[in-house]
Amino acid sequence: MIIIGGGATGCGIARDLALRGIPHCLVEKGDFAAGATGACHGLLHSGGRYAVTDPVAARECYEENLILRRIGRKCVEQTGGLFVRLPGDSKRFREIFLRGCEDVGIPTEVISSTRAIDLVPNLNPEIEEAIIVPDCSIDPFRLCMLNIRTSELRGGIIYTRHKVTEIIKSHGRCTGVKTVDQATGEVREIHGNIIINATGAWAHMIATLAGCEVPLTLVKGSLVITNHRLTNMVINRLRHPSDGDIIVPNEAVCLAGTTALAIDDPDNLVTASPEVDTIINEAGRMIPHFNNTRIIRAFSGVRPLLKSKKADSHEISRGFQIINHENGLYSIVGGKLSTFRLMAEKMVDTVMDTFNLKRSCETAEIPLDGQEELSGYPLSKRLADMKNIVCECELVTRNYVESIIKQTGTRNVGDIQHRTRLGMGPCQGGFCTFRALGIMNDMSVISPEQSMEMLRGFLQRRYKGIRQALWGDQLREEQLVEYIYLGILSMEKRQ
Amino acid sequence: MSVTEYDVVIIGAGVAGLTAGALLSERGFNVALVTKGEPTACLSTGCIDVCSQNKNPLSGIRNLPREHPYNLIPEKMIKESLCLFQSDMNDAGLPYIGSSDENRSVLSALGTSKISCLIPSAMAAAPQENNNGSIHIITFKGLKDFYPGYIVSRRGSTKFSVYDAGVSTTMSLASRFEEKAFFEKFIAWLEKQTIHEEMIAFPAVLGMESATDIVNTISILTRKPVFEIPTIPPSMPGRRLFNALKKNFRQKGGVIYWAWPVAGTEKTGRVMEAVSTNSAGRPNSINAKAFILGTGSFVGGGLTATRATIEENVFDLPVHIPGPRETWFDNDYFSRNHGIGKAGIMTDAFMRPLDSPWKNIFVCGSILANAEVLKNGCGHGLALATAHAAAQSCSEYLSHEL
Repeated sequence: MIIIGGGATGCGIARDLALRGIPHCLVEKGDFAAGATGACHGLLHSGGRYAVTDPVAARECYEENLILRRIGRKCVEQTGGLFVRLPGDSKRFREIFLRGCEDVGIPTEVISSTRAIDLVPNLNPEIEEAIIVPDCSIDPFRLCMLNIRTSELRGGIIYTRHKVTEIIKSHGRCTGVKTVDQATGEVREIHGNIIINATGAWAHMIATLAGCEVPLTLVKGSLVITNHRLTNMVINRLRHPSDGDIIVPNEAVCLAGTTALAIDDPDNLVTASPEVDTIINEAGRMIPHFNNTRIIRAFSGVRPLLKSKKADSHEISRGFQIINHENGLYSIVGGKLSTFRLMAEKMVDTVMDTFNLKRSCETAEIPLDGQEELSGYPLSKRLADMKNIVCECELVTRNYVESIIKQTGTRNVGDIQHRTRLGMGPCQGGFCTFRALGIMNDMSVISPEQSMEMLRGFLQRRYKGIRQALWGDQLREEQLVEYIYLGILSMEKRQ
Repeated sequence: MSVTEYDVVIIGAGVAGLTAGALLSERGFNVALVTKGEPTACLSTGCIDVCSQNKNPLSGIRNLPREHPYNLIPEKMIKESLCLFQSDMNDAGLPYIGSSDENRSVLSALGTSKISCLIPSAMAAAPQENNNGSIHIITFKGLKDFYPGYIVSRRGSTKFSVYDAGVSTTMSLASRFEEKAFFEKFIAWLEKQTIHEEMIAFPAVLGMESATDIVNTISILTRKPVFEIPTIPPSMPGRRLFNALKKNFRQKGGVIYWAWPVAGTEKTGRVMEAVSTNSAGRPNSINAKAFILGTGSFVGGGLTATRATIEENVFDLPVHIPGPRETWFDNDYFSRNHGIGKAGIMTDAFMRPLDSPWKNIFVCGSILANAEVLKNGCGHGLALATAHAAAQSCSEYLSHEL
């Protein structure tokens, strides 16, 4: 079985196949969680958000929420969530919301504004009331890694940074893929009986390679990241789903969003400053301090939603769909991060049926492999290593960077960033990426020429992420970084 | 509240503020300088960029757009400001080479050529244009802000060796180079190295203050040109420049109030009377007859951008804002042409802020509107020239000539 796509769905399918003992190979053109998975809130939905508009998705979310909290104790933070009602927000919606949650089975508790402010002191003191729901926060990248771990432990073959350029066909059936190693240009042929297209927003492009179609509506959602953790609970606005009504705490930061705008090209995403303003203004209504807090990044992801005629994309179903292209290729589209496991289960069930294989899914019962290592690197240890810190924002040491390079053999600085959080802090890699690439060069995994080229590419990508968050301290930081690279280091665009 | 009285209060301890302060002190005025903390000069390469757009910096200045603040200053004064800087730095033990006739190259830590005008003598031996001579770099084990590989990527003939100094940060290495025992041990190691390359380069960690002497010593010993390569912050050459300017200012009689951020101002009519600061646990009011604003741009803390506007932080002077927020930054990171570079304070020819009532505030340095310091390569050079102009006007004002 060949899986294309290393987002939550693809990684979930790999784990499911591994647990059912089916040989498989996963191919991903970038790193894990590079698409919608890595560009989302990191919210493990209670389902409350969809209880009114999409009860099916809401029920799936809640069931998966319970399962993930059980199997992924170490990668799910059980923050709990609040739906807050601000002055002027419809009371009628509150009733529909509570009824919707009850129908779906999502536990709720209505609390007074005083109690809500006890729970989240930064909340707007003018809120009318709040409803507690079992929202959680989850690290999407870590989630992918843990799913992949099971696959690797059971013989799954994983190729990241391999782009699928061709689907090999024989007598009208898809029998394999041709991939290009993005680092070396090496071409590889991988053969299999079934190909699963789990490429999210790129699903149509991949299907086209096999002469098939996947009808999708691509909806851009933008998010901002704060420099601080302003709340310990997920905060939702108690109203009809709309722009900027969710704030999720994740590690040391908060993510707020989103917006919804239909787009055509998932590879060409631009976050616009009006979107950023909308998110900050709306989030600021729930947590007033949001207006003054430092935004370190503003970025966009693409929701690969099922094609729909509905004009407001907040209304399009968050449900998922499996498409059998009847030629050995299956596409799985739609859905949410929260329901990735269920999507994987259904996908694998479908394929198993085709081959009349009986082994049932175990992904909901067995805890995710390798979670123990996550507690890995406590602050006390990091401080003891202080003299070798290469990323001051996230306290990442040189030894840690070297060990990741040795472990993964990576030639891509992004891989190091995802695995260590290097460059995720306020300077957004301004200082430490120069160092990380220097270390990779010291270790001879990349050539001096590559380190220069990668530094250049990194700066351009980094800039794209912060371009729409430039005012206040983040603008100061950006000017300093620009001064360092273009002034002190006199870097030009091209050699 | 304590109240102190001066002729001039300078706000900001960068190249502009310290230079204006030294000039006014020299003319016999009673000068105090208040600063929040270390200036951005400490982060710089220490080189004086005058205008890096052209081989000849003065021609480069002549080609700048009309609104550029250099155009407020006579060429003669620009030249004088550079000469005086060189002689002051020589006296302070930090000689600078170069002249306003010609720009020079400094080898950057990425192996590119950084174009600048006046260069700390410890960087003077860096290869100039078309010199592809081979370089041997000596770097230090674990030094996290310097990677010779980047230079190798540009200059293939570059070789390097690594010395284990037992410490790994720029600052700790620089302070070790001030220790005699360490330096002797290092020299003993260096003498055993076989170096075939034509030049020897070091990351700029050769002492807190003694780089000039250390470079000379090593050069004599190895019989090769030796030079320092400026590093990313913390930058020793920037710090040396700051210390030398500070020394110069104090020697001429100036007083520095360190870590005294301005919290408020007092004014009467069109005259600014005092700045108040919250420091050492109590409010202080510092009265003066005139004020010089040299607080720098955004990084320095002179300007603050909000989502809607840009503000000047000390006197709330009107700021020239280059359009709405969407236009502040170009989409291309490497363009060096971001609209935000034009933000700042517009002044008249006497360096007094336009559209503001104050007749005793004079503005200098990178807070000036349309400076576009990075694009034009004119950071410290503009600071020196405008400091001279501001000090000149301020002195005329105090002598009732303005």
